[in-house]
Formats: sequence, C-alpha cells, structure tokens
Amino acid sequence: MLGYIIRRLWQMIPTLFGVMLLVFVVFNWVGGDPSYILAGKRLSPDALAAIRAQLGLDQSLPAQFWLFVKQVAHLDFGLSWSLQQPVTRILAERIGPSLTLTGTLLVVELCAALPIAVLVAYYRAKLIDRVVTIVCTVAMSVSSLVYIIVGQYVLAYQADWFPVQGWYDDSLLHSWLVFVPLPLILGLAVSLAPDVRFYRSFVVEELQQDYVRTARAKGLSERVVLFKHVLRNALIPVVTTVASSLPFLVLGSMLLERFFGIPGMGNELLAAVDKSDFPIIKAITITIAVATMVFNLLADVLYKWIDPRVELK
Amino acid sequence: MPTSNVASSAATEPASRSLWSLGWQRLKRDRVGYVSLWVVVFFMVLGAAVWSGLLARGWDQEVGNPNTAPMWAAQEKLQHTGTSDGMEGATGPIIRLTPAEDPIADMLAAAEHNKSKYQTMEAPKTDALILGSDQRGRSVFEKVLQGTGTSMLVGIFGALLSVALGTVLGAFAGYFGGKTDDFLMWFYSVFTSVPDMLLLLAFAAVAGRGFTTLILVLSFTSWTGVFRLVRAEYMKQRSREYVQAADAIGASHLSRMFVHILPNISHLLLVQFSLLLVGLIKYEVILSFLGFGVGVKQVSWGSILGEVPTELMQGYWWQLLGVVIMMSTLVTAVSMLTDALRDALDPKVK
Amino acid sequence: MIKKGLLIAALLMGAGLVPVYAADMNKVLRVSYPAPEVGFDPVKTTDLYSSSISSNIFDTLVAYDYLSRPLKLIPNTISAMPEISADGKVYTFHIRKGIYFADDPAFKGKKRELTAEDYAYSLKRLVDPAVHSPTGYLVEDVIEGLHDYVKSLNGKALDYDKPLPGLRALDRYTLQIRLKEPNSSFIYIVAMSHLAAVAREVIEANVANTMAHPVGTGPYRLAEWKPGNKIVLEANPNFRDYTLPTEGSGKGLDAQIAADLKGKKLPLVGRVEVSIIEEEQPRWLSFVNQQLDYAGVPFSAVNTIMQPDPARPGAFKLLKKWSNMGIQLQQELAPEVTYTYFNMKDPVIGGEDKQHIALRRAISMAYDVQREIRDIRKGQAKPMQNIIPRGFVGNDPNYHGAVDYDPALANALLDEAGYKIGPDGFRANPDGSRLELEMATSPSALDRIYNEAWQSAFDRIKIHLRFKVAKWNELYKAATEGKLQMWGSAWTADYPGADNFLQLLYGPNSGQTNNGNFQNKEYDELYRKTLSMQDSPERNAIYLRMNKIVTGLAPWAYQDARINNYVINPYVHGFKQHPIYYSPFMFIDIRK
Repeated sequence: MLGYIIRRLWQMIPTLFGVMLLVFVVFNWVGGDPSYILAGKRLSPDALAAIRAQLGLDQSLPAQFWLFVKQVAHLDFGLSWSLQQPVTRILAERIGPSLTLTGTLLVVELCAALPIAVLVAYYRAKLIDRVVTIVCTVAMSVSSLVYIIVGQYVLAYQADWFPVQGWYDDSLLHSWLVFVPLPLILGLAVSLAPDVRFYRSFVVEELQQDYVRTARAKGLSERVVLFKHVLRNALIPVVTTVASSLPFLVLGSMLLERFFGIPGMGNELLAAVDKSDFPIIKAITITIAVATMVFNLLADVLYKWIDPRVELK
Repeated sequence: MPTSNVASSAATEPASRSLWSLGWQRLKRDRVGYVSLWVVVFFMVLGAAVWSGLLARGWDQEVGNPNTAPMWAAQEKLQHTGTSDGMEGATGPIIRLTPAEDPIADMLAAAEHNKSKYQTMEAPKTDALILGSDQRGRSVFEKVLQGTGTSMLVGIFGALLSVALGTVLGAFAGYFGGKTDDFLMWFYSVFTSVPDMLLLLAFAAVAGRGFTTLILVLSFTSWTGVFRLVRAEYMKQRSREYVQAADAIGASHLSRMFVHILPNISHLLLVQFSLLLVGLIKYEVILSFLGFGVGVKQVSWGSILGEVPTELMQGYWWQLLGVVIMMSTLVTAVSMLTDALRDALDPKVK
Repeated sequence: MIKKGLLIAALLMGAGLVPVYAADMNKVLRVSYPAPEVGFDPVKTTDLYSSSISSNIFDTLVAYDYLSRPLKLIPNTISAMPEISADGKVYTFHIRKGIYFADDPAFKGKKRELTAEDYAYSLKRLVDPAVHSPTGYLVEDVIEGLHDYVKSLNGKALDYDKPLPGLRALDRYTLQIRLKEPNSSFIYIVAMSHLAAVAREVIEANVANTMAHPVGTGPYRLAEWKPGNKIVLEANPNFRDYTLPTEGSGKGLDAQIAADLKGKKLPLVGRVEVSIIEEEQPRWLSFVNQQLDYAGVPFSAVNTIMQPDPARPGAFKLLKKWSNMGIQLQQELAPEVTYTYFNMKDPVIGGEDKQHIALRRAISMAYDVQREIRDIRKGQAKPMQNIIPRGFVGNDPNYHGAVDYDPALANALLDEAGYKIGPDGFRANPDGSRLELEMATSPSALDRIYNEAWQSAFDRIKIHLRFKVAKWNELYKAATEGKLQMWGSAWTADYPGADNFLQLLYGPNSGQTNNGNFQNKEYDELYRKTLSMQDSPERNAIYLRMNKIVTGLAPWAYQDARINNYVINPYVHGFKQHPIYYSPFMFIDIRK
C-alpha cells in the first residue's frame, strides 16, 4: 500500500510539469500584455519598459518558464499584477468562502440525492422511477444560468426572502447562516437532478449483478439485499466520484460566487482572467491540479479500503 | 447469451449490424425514446432549414418597436422619452461649421443635391409579434429560431470533433499500449487535472470569436471522457479473437483499429456523442454569458441569454421564455434519446 | 499595581466621555463600486475607484468645494490659496499648522505633523524611477528641473534629500514650486489625489506593499481591505477640525445639505464599507433591500425606476413606487465625452484628403446617436457637441459640433467621394479594391449591443464592417501602437480644465492619449498657445476654432456624455454628486 502511494506520488511529477507547461503556453500566448493595464491612462514607452522589466516580461520565454517552475517549487507565486498583493495571501483569504458554500452544497446534495437515487433505482421502470427520471431530465435541460438569474430575481428581489448578495468577512458562520442559503438552494436546484440520475445508474447497475439474484434466491430480505449488499457496492463509485470532485470544491462555483458576491476562488479566477492577472491564474491552476491529483489518489485508496477485492496496480 | 454477439464471431460486420438492428427494434418499443427521436429529428430539420436560409433569414431586420411584449401578453405602454440633440443649454444662435470652413463643402453640396435617390420610406413598425421584440426591435421568434440553428451547429460539430479527437487518441493509447499509451495518458492526465472551466476560459481567450473558435475550444476541453472510454475498450478488444483473426489475414494496425474494432464500439460513441451534445450546448451558454460567445452578426441561445439578466430587471421576460422553451425541449429530447439508446444498444440487456 | 491599573482605566474611561472626534462609530455607510480597486498608494494608481478611496485617506494642498458648481478650488491643508508670482511660474503654499497624520507604528507612538517636506517628498515620488508612477507625467515636464534631474539619474536611486530648484520647502510650513512655463491648469493638477501628502517614514517602512498601507491626514483611514472585494474605512481620530466649507448656491439641495451639516465636525459616519459588486442586477437589488445606502442606477434598470418628468423637459423622476419609499433621485451630466475614433494614419480610413474626410463623415452621419441614447442608454445621456464637456470653462453651449444623422446624405456623399456600390451591393474603395472596415470591441454584453448599433449604421451606408473582439488591455495595447482602425473611447475629466480634453487630439500625444494619431499643425499650435492663457473671450475663440477643425476633419464620430443617476435611501443625508469626488464620504450622514 505504502509503496503504491509513493509510486503514485512519484508519477505526479510529470503531470505537474505538463500542467505548468500547458498553463504557461496558454497564458503567455493568450493572456494579453498586462503592462498596459498597469500603465494607466497616459503611457510612455519608458513607463511601459519599466513595468515590463518589473514583471519579468522582457525576458525570453524559456527564462520566464524557468522562473515559473522555480516559483511553483517554492510555493511562492509572487505579487498579483493587478492588486499588488502577495498571491498566496489573496488565495488564502478566498478559500474559506468557497469551501463554506461548496462544502455545504456537497453534503446537502449527497444527503438529498442518495436516498432518492436508491429509492428510484429500487423501483426501476415503475411509475415513480419514470416520473423522477423525466423530472430530472427536464430539470437538467434548463441552463444553470437560468436558475441563478431567475432564482435571485424571484427569491431575493421580488419575494425578499433572502439577502440579494453579500458576505461577512469576519465570520464565516455568520455568512453561512445569512448569505449561503440562497446560493445553496440554487446550487442544489442545478445539481440535484444530475446527481440523482448519476447515483441511480450506480445502484441500478449493482441491482443487475448476479450476486443480487443469488442473494434474493437465498431468501435474504429485500432490505438486507438493498442496504447491506447493493448500497455498499454502489457506494464505491459514489465515494470515488465525491473524492475526485473535492478539488472542485476549492474552486467553488464560479457563477454562484459571481452572482452572489461571494469572495471565493471562482470569483477571483474570473476577475483574474479578465485582468490577465497571470500570477493568480497560475497559482489557482497549479493548486487545483495538485489537489485533483492528490484526491484522485485518495479516491483510489478509499476504493481499496471499501472493497478489498480491488487490486492496486 | 449477453456477450455472444460480439465475441463469438470473427466477422465484425454482421455482429455490429445485428446489435444495431436489435437496438432499433428495442428503441421502437421504448415509447419515450421513440418520441424523443422524432423531436430530435425535428430540431435537426429546423436547424438545417435555418442554416440553409429557408427559415428566420430576416432575424436581423428591425421589424418592431424596441422591447415589445408578445402579442398575446399585456404590456404597459412604455413612455418613450423624446430625444435630445444635446443643445438645450444654448444661450444664443447655434454656431455650426460654415461651408467656408468645411473642407468638403463642395462634395456635401453635390451630395445634398443627389440625396433624394436614397430617401426611403421606413417600413412601419409593428407591435404584433408572436414572441415580442428585442432591444433593437427584432422579432424574438425569428431570433430564437436563428439561435437554435447556431447552438445546434456549435453543439453538433463540437461533439463530433470531441468524439473524433477522443476516439483517435484513445484508440492509439489502448491499441498500442506501452510508450504511446504512457505519453497519451500523460497528456490526458494534464488535461484532466486542470478544471474544464479554466481551460475553456483560457482557450476562448486565445483565439478570436465565432463558430469555429467556439467549436474548437469546446472540443479541446471535452475529449477526455471519450478518450478514457475508448482506450479501455481498445485494451479489451485488441486481444479478442476477431482482432487476432484480422491480424492473421494481414490487416494493418490502422485497419484493425478503425475497420475492425471501431464498429464494435460505435454504439458507445453514439451515446457519448449525444451526451456531449447536451453538455456542449450548455457550455456555449455559459461561455457566451462570460463574453466569449459567437460574433455580432450571429446569434445563439447563449448570446440571447446574455441579454436576459438586464432585461429581466426591466420586466422583459420574453427572450428568456423563447430560449428556455427551445433549449429545454431539445436538451430533454436528446437526454431521453441518450437514455433510450443506452438501454437499446446495451449488449448486456436482452 | 492593580490599583494603579484601575486608576488608569478610570482615567481612560473619563477621557472617553469627552468626544475625541465627532464621527459616530456606530454609524455605518455602505456603498458599492462596480469594478475592483487596485490599491491605495496615490502615486501608483490611476483608476477612479482607487483614487476615490485615496482622496478620503490623503489630503491634497487644494481641493474642490463640495457644493459649488461650477467647480471651485478652495484651500485644503493650506491657509489660503497659493501666492502666484507675476510671471505665473512660482507658486507658494502656506501649510496650516496642527494637521496630523493618522497614527501608525512607523511614527513610533508620536503624533506626526504634516509639513511642507511631506509634499515635496510626495511630489518627488511621482517621478522616482523606482516607483514607476503612471501619473508622473503630471509634474515631470511641468515643474522646473524635475525632468533633467530624473534623466541625470541614469539608474541611480533618486535622492529625496537633494534640494531641487523647482520644488523647495522654504521652511517647515512653506512649499514653493517653480514651473518651467506658466500653466493655467497646474492648480488643478495640485488638486489631484496623486499629489496628496504621504509620510516618508510610512512609505519607507512598507516599501514592498505601499498599496495596502495608506496613512494620511484625511478624514478616514483604511481599517480593512479585501482586494477586489471589500474596503472598510474608519474615521481618522487625528483628523483636524473640519466643517462644511461653503454653502454652495444656498438653494435647493445645497440649502438642505448646508442646514444638515452646518457647524458639525466632519466626518459624521464612523465606518464606511465599500463592497465591489460587478453585476448590475445584484447591485440594484442590494440597494432596494437597503443593503446599500446609495447607488448608481444601472441603465438596464432605468425603465423600472424612473420615468420622464412632464414638469421638467429632458429630466426624469422616480416612479411612484420608489418615491413613496422616500428614495431620492439625483441626476448629473458626467464630465466626460464618449466617441469612436478613426485612426488617422490608417490608409483606408485615415488621412486629411477630401475623399477620406467624406468617408469618416458619412460613417458619423449613418450612426443614429439620438436613437441609441434613447434605446441603449434609456435616455440617460446627451449627445456630444463639443470636445469640451458641457459646464466646463471654455465650452461654448451654442456650438453644434456633431454631424446630424442623415443616412441618405451619407450615401450620396460616398457616391460623390467615389465609393461606388459594387455588384455585391456593397461599396468598394475608389480604386476598386474591396472596402471592409474593422472596429475594435471588448466582449461584454453592453459592447455587443453597441456593436449591433454600429452594424446597422454600416448596413445603412452599405459598407462591410468586421469586429475585432479582444480584451480591453489587448485593445489598448494595439491602440497605442496605432494598429486599430476604429475604437470607441471615453474620457472622463481628471480636472475641470478644457485642456484635459483638448489634449486627446494633440499631435505629440499620439500613441499615448491621442490613439487616433490625429496630427494637425494648426490645432497643435493653438493648443500650445492656450496652455498659458487664462480664461478669456480670446481663449474661448481659440477653443471654438479648434472644435471646428475637428468637426471638419472628423477624426472622431461624436457620441455622448452619460447622465449619472443616483438613488439615495431616505435616511442618507448630505450626499450630492460631485464631478470629481466619486466618494465624498465625509459629508454624508446616516440618520435612521
């Protein structure tokens, strides 16, 4: 097991290198020249040259890439170009709000979606299954943007049941109580349907396995079959999906954060792309990439732990 | 015998054909799936009609007054402000450029003489439009139809390209294994460890705007699912008897990969394609909202939805309605068809 | 020991009974900015939002009066307006005694008084090559000897202790500035927040992060900052005795504000919370729910908020629904011009020959400014008629500089100039080559709406139009390199001087602010001549002539100046839109 983990960690290095290369190529090629943002209303060639030198943009591309690799190695992403603040500090402040929203969303989603999925899968092809499936399909067909736009307008503005947007910086708990509910509801509206369908497919698949027939043939009660055998096995893909979706929690839900003024990572990322703030984009991308790799490993280890039959390669 | 129709025969053609014809029989029995199929076909025809210019060609004509409600909905008559030429503050006679001061006075004088040629009567603006009008007075009905064509074009070609990209890379990785597989898996792992949305934003920012960019950007970020699936299938299939048999008769690697194996996984690709179609149509909407949509002369569901947040605040809900109806119908139909196809083409289900 | 501690505590509490400063720390003013700020080092920022916060933290020598219109400069940290020598070159400022900076660890527990040296230091920072100030141009070529000194540095560090002939502290409280040439706008420059006083100790203690560490003598100090998200200001306990300087016109809103604030020590509100809300919808919804105390009205919300006021032509009033809630509406024409420039160096659209002038004029004629104001701006703008905004000294209200909307004439004019309609129904260049013009644009939703308007304009005159869509910074770069053909621009006043606008077309500013590369000898000469002139009929005549040159040669398609609409909750007192101070927090009171 330990050997496996070490081997996997070792394998991450080329991937991380690839991610750095990709990010660097894309953003140095695309991103636009930020010195024009920093130079302001009236610019002179001197001022531009000075800013470019300060940002390291006057160096060759390989030199800039090497600089980037060194930064990643030191976990120091320098100063944000647009905000002139240390990137690590900005991101450290952003992670809390993102996790507060998406973490809650994940837990609520799981608690709501799993039972429905099991129930529906059990009555597969019966009326309730058909109805839920159709409702889910229809619900999924509406763009998430529509949910957010209409939801914010109706629930916050017209009905005045929730604050329109905002965040208390000093107290996550306070924000959680006041500002999270509405984005949570809308996030749930967006993701419940796909989740139910997704989890349902796992349970359905398990229900078709031969061992279920055997168990039933042996005369085990439906409850035992469903909860002891089927759910346990269906949980494996659920756990791995959840584990591998964890890094996206860190990123938060960009659209929700944007609309509800939540100072999270997603909001920061959108702003950074808009302002060509390379250091922030690079830092977020690398962080998320590392998180993805680590959580994928975690998912595999969990998999093994839940189901010892699985062989780790 | 769940797997017999694939594994037992070395000749692939009959095997896959029987799967397809069996699938067609099953699909016809699935009422929901069958209806969905016809809805999708209807949208395809609609899309084709729009692309070829048979329908909604005049979507960009300003036929109505700005922001008129649909003819069947009541709307308070908007009180339009008179226009202002910005000279209200004048304290004396208006001063203009005199002909003596104007460098092109002679041309202007001649043009003034000839301008009657271009004097046209503007067509009267109508208030009776099925789905009302937008900010520029264009018919929302035609605009939404045009948007349907665009969004489907983006979705279909984007999904096709993703499937093609994922299949080719996946086939190479799964079939050859070894170093090729290592390299492609590295490539795959790099793409999957960067969030889709971030990749989308980055790519969308690189290239210009318009159909081609959108399609390329979308397929560049969404080939990974197909890749994983195809790779696994190829690993499974390459040791099967029929592939060995093809080897024995001297078929080349490429021919084995794409002539022999591919038809056997084509049902999976069809399901992937329809899944991607839905996904890409939704992504297009978000990209347009964030400002990376189609160009000014084109309109898509996404670009229309981009106008909605501000319109909603003014009480103009009809563009939202039009897009939601069209989009939901198509996406629902495609999703249900996907489910039906998955069931119908699943070799395990009898 | 314990007893002594208690005694001190008692003393402190006793002291607390005497108001140390007037601001009520329980009063919180909540406002929003539509775009993120950059930071609060006055010499390092140029954006409106950063400067607006800076002007609440730092003090300039002179400042604009809050209520007077047209704008009037008044002494701020000086006892009287500066003495100006007869040749107009030497300015002497007498700084008031007893003005103190907000407390900061860099002052080592001592009260730190504002001196003439602080201003000299702050002005030198503007030109310090190590600081990279984007606003250094404001003084570098204006104050005598500054440019030469900076050029002589050659990579060496700027020596702040070196006396400069153009910039001297004569004594602790007297600052003398000598200009290269007389400049009637210099006093406006002195009022810009970039020239406010910072303390050298604080800057040197926080060199790496001056943006996040503003310490000034102004009414507020920075209490908390989440970049791009939230800015919290708290009343500065060391702020000097400050009351409303004048009563303005003494009528209407001015009288109301004067009655509200008269004799009160400012600021009144102890805490200001500024949140950054970029989307229009949430911003407006927050205001309606009283989560914001006042807010700008987004164009998209105009129809649901206000209607034309039959009693006052051209003006708007709130819908009953809102006015019944006690909400107030304030309308003010923004000190700005918006226009689309043509690149005068471009071979297809530029040039001062008759044929290209006709092409540009025809494009202007085909764009229906009044309709776009009605439909896109929802009537909340006025067409631009003059390079100098309305209400500014030098603006001739009788001058009609815009081209009238007339697509038929535009078409006939193009025929006349040789742009003939080809077999494909579109016009070709006079030499028969394909004619397609390119307009630059950003990808936002509003830009898209404007692009559609331009598309219709070009359809009317049958010319192919293509859009180059890119992010703003990319376009800005291309613009300064002269690579764009046409691009929509806006210029908001830095100070209420006509030259701040006329310089947009001054030849030597090509590649800086003059993105259209307009270079006209007569215009440039007139511009230089007016710089040293005071307000007079002669100067106005020159301004009119400059306007006519521009109308004739058409380097710009004139668009409009927006009307800023503010809605104010009923419990907010003292707020009046100010053309220069976007955030006059210290005059605002909250009485719920």
